[in-house]
Amino acid sequence: MSLEILELRRRPGRFATATAILTLLAALLMLLGGLLDGLIAGSTAAFRAQRADLVVYSSAAEQSLPRSRVTEATRSAVEAVPGVADTAALGVVQLGARVPGNAPRDLAPVALLGYELAPRGVPAPPADGSAYADRTLEADGVRVGQTLQVGPARSPVRIVGWVDGLTYAGQGTLWTTVDTWRSVTAANRPDAVLGPADSQALLVRAEPGVAPEVLAARIAHVNDGAVDALTLDAAIEAIPGVSEQNSTFGQIIGVTLVIAVVVVALFFALLTIERLPLYGVLKAVGATSGRLFRGVLLQVVIITAIASLIGTSIAVAIDLALPPGSIPFDLRPSRALWNLAFLFLAAVLGGAFSLRRVLRIDPASAIGSTS
Amino acid sequence: MFLALNEIRRALVRFSLLAVTIGLLVFLILFQQTLQSGLITSFVGAIQHQSAPVLVYSVDGLRNLEGSVILPDVEKDIRAVDGVGVAGRIGQGTFSVHAGGKTTSAAIIGFEDPRVGAPTTLASGRMPDAEGEVVALESAADQGFGLGEMVRVEPGGTELRIVGQASEIGLHASPTLFTTYGTLEHVVAASNPQARGIAPAAIGVIPRDGVSDAQVVERIDSAVPDAEALTRADAVASTPGVAQIQQSFRLIFLLYGLVVPLVTGLFFLILTLQKAQSLTLLRAVGATAGALIWSLLIQVVVVMVVGIGLAVAMYTPLASRRLGGLPLRFQTGAVVFWAVALFVLGVLSALVSMRRVLRIEPIEATTGAGVTA
Repeated sequence: MSLEILELRRRPGRFATATAILTLLAALLMLLGGLLDGLIAGSTAAFRAQRADLVVYSSAAEQSLPRSRVTEATRSAVEAVPGVADTAALGVVQLGARVPGNAPRDLAPVALLGYELAPRGVPAPPADGSAYADRTLEADGVRVGQTLQVGPARSPVRIVGWVDGLTYAGQGTLWTTVDTWRSVTAANRPDAVLGPADSQALLVRAEPGVAPEVLAARIAHVNDGAVDALTLDAAIEAIPGVSEQNSTFGQIIGVTLVIAVVVVALFFALLTIERLPLYGVLKAVGATSGRLFRGVLLQVVIITAIASLIGTSIAVAIDLALPPGSIPFDLRPSRALWNLAFLFLAAVLGGAFSLRRVLRIDPASAIGSTS
Repeated sequence: MFLALNEIRRALVRFSLLAVTIGLLVFLILFQQTLQSGLITSFVGAIQHQSAPVLVYSVDGLRNLEGSVILPDVEKDIRAVDGVGVAGRIGQGTFSVHAGGKTTSAAIIGFEDPRVGAPTTLASGRMPDAEGEVVALESAADQGFGLGEMVRVEPGGTELRIVGQASEIGLHASPTLFTTYGTLEHVVAASNPQARGIAPAAIGVIPRDGVSDAQVVERIDSAVPDAEALTRADAVASTPGVAQIQQSFRLIFLLYGLVVPLVTGLFFLILTLQKAQSLTLLRAVGATAGALIWSLLIQVVVVMVVGIGLAVAMYTPLASRRLGGLPLRFQTGAVVFWAVALFVLGVLSALVSMRRVLRIEPIEATTGAGVTA
């Protein structure tokens, strides 16, 4: 067993504080990443599942689905654009739903989406008056077979099945026909009534071989610029708050990683200073600078691994303990792995600050000198 | 004092690194505190800074102004509740608005009676009293919402003149305009010809003399099953998303707050262990334990003060800027609270090192030993 591992085993207390700090930083990175993914997923999941190449809004809507109005005439004009394979209407209305068995004031917040083109994970549109419900609504008491009363007009919507992970604006969704969505909107939102064949947005699929970006540019000329055509990724990015959340959390995560670099650098620089006499002796008996430095890095990696394990466990425990619908937290393996990779990189970088001190050690100092 | 400051001078890089680390941590806490406050103000400032002490939503609105629709029967029942003094319609919608050469999303809030639903933080200009006049969010002035400017709602092309500016009246993090209820009705009709009018999103209520806000809330809730009355403070706190924002940030603050004393404690503990032999020698030649602890404390105080000072220096220019569309504001209260709390925690974290110093036996100077880990 190497000297470094022996030291970790025999004097774990010496490394406890650094491990505790790195554990907190690892937990913080997981929490920040989980919050970011939770917020983004809550806002964008219903869009991410779409099988379309483009989303078309009315140009005055500023890429906002609830404010957009696409008329029947505009839809015909979009369908006539060369390269458009097919189009499908999409609309949303956010309302409260009375759930059978719940207290009169205990309503479930729902986003009722009318669709023609089934997104991934959603069957073809059900019969009018019925809907597939996002499983997050189960926590609000929603069950398959129930008839919810949606909105102040108490529009009946029967639940015929579940879909998973398809929230919109942080709310559980109900996926229904466009006609049902239109009639529920008209009954509950007098200011948002649409024409009998209108929708809020169009989903567009391109013909094989036609690039979505090229098609978007062609559609943008329809009716003298009456519409905005966005690729699916651009439409997701345009959802209010998505890019701001990404950049703000990205910066906070970045500064937290810088702190991890400084903490590790500080800790191992001090530890190296403390060990200078020992390193002098080791060098005098033949240990190379590389060998000593590898030892420092090995300890860095081991305490970072322990901290990562505990920090991730804390984040997982928090994820499990959070009741559905409370904090928007979504701990994703890919995000966790990236965060851990960055933490290891930061720790190794911090540990590397000790290299200069290790290189400067003069083996002669071991003879007749203690420092 | 002499020893403590001399040591800092001779190991400047080491102490600077610690101060920078603490500075970054405190800066992150302050920045996130401001972010939290800015988010909440941008989301619900319009509710917090409007004149109605009680807001009545529809139960279906789930305490969200944007989601609430008061049907005519419900409105009639609310107005008839014993204890209701003044009642007025408040409507709300989000529209595309052409301002400052660009089109942006803006929330427009219409009030029927200025006593219930008008902004209370007018900073310049006057309240709207004619069709087409609005009071705009002051922090959105540089986006084309300045005093005297005209903005145009699209589609429909309704022109609105900004006759006043009020602070902290944001709703859903958008530029926000307060106007008369009639103007809002006109905007809705012009932007969506299919619309069948606009239903109020809430009824603003002032209780009759002798009736408290809480009493009128209770009476409305028990008399009108489809209505949910809330005091202004409750309406702010229970707006969907506000509690989640607060809970999320609280957790993050707690973890960052723990890291600060741990880093400080770790640093001074290691430093104490490194200086073990010197400290033992000092004790042997007559230095008292109190003098050594005093020296340690001076170093902790210097590092914490420099670290917190650095944090405030980094935070100050950032706190008066906009982050995306979010106006930030320097928060004196938060700076004082965190500076004091983290300073105290930092000093307390040095207790372990102080214990080590107290355990030093001067006699060990003759044996070459000192304190050990």
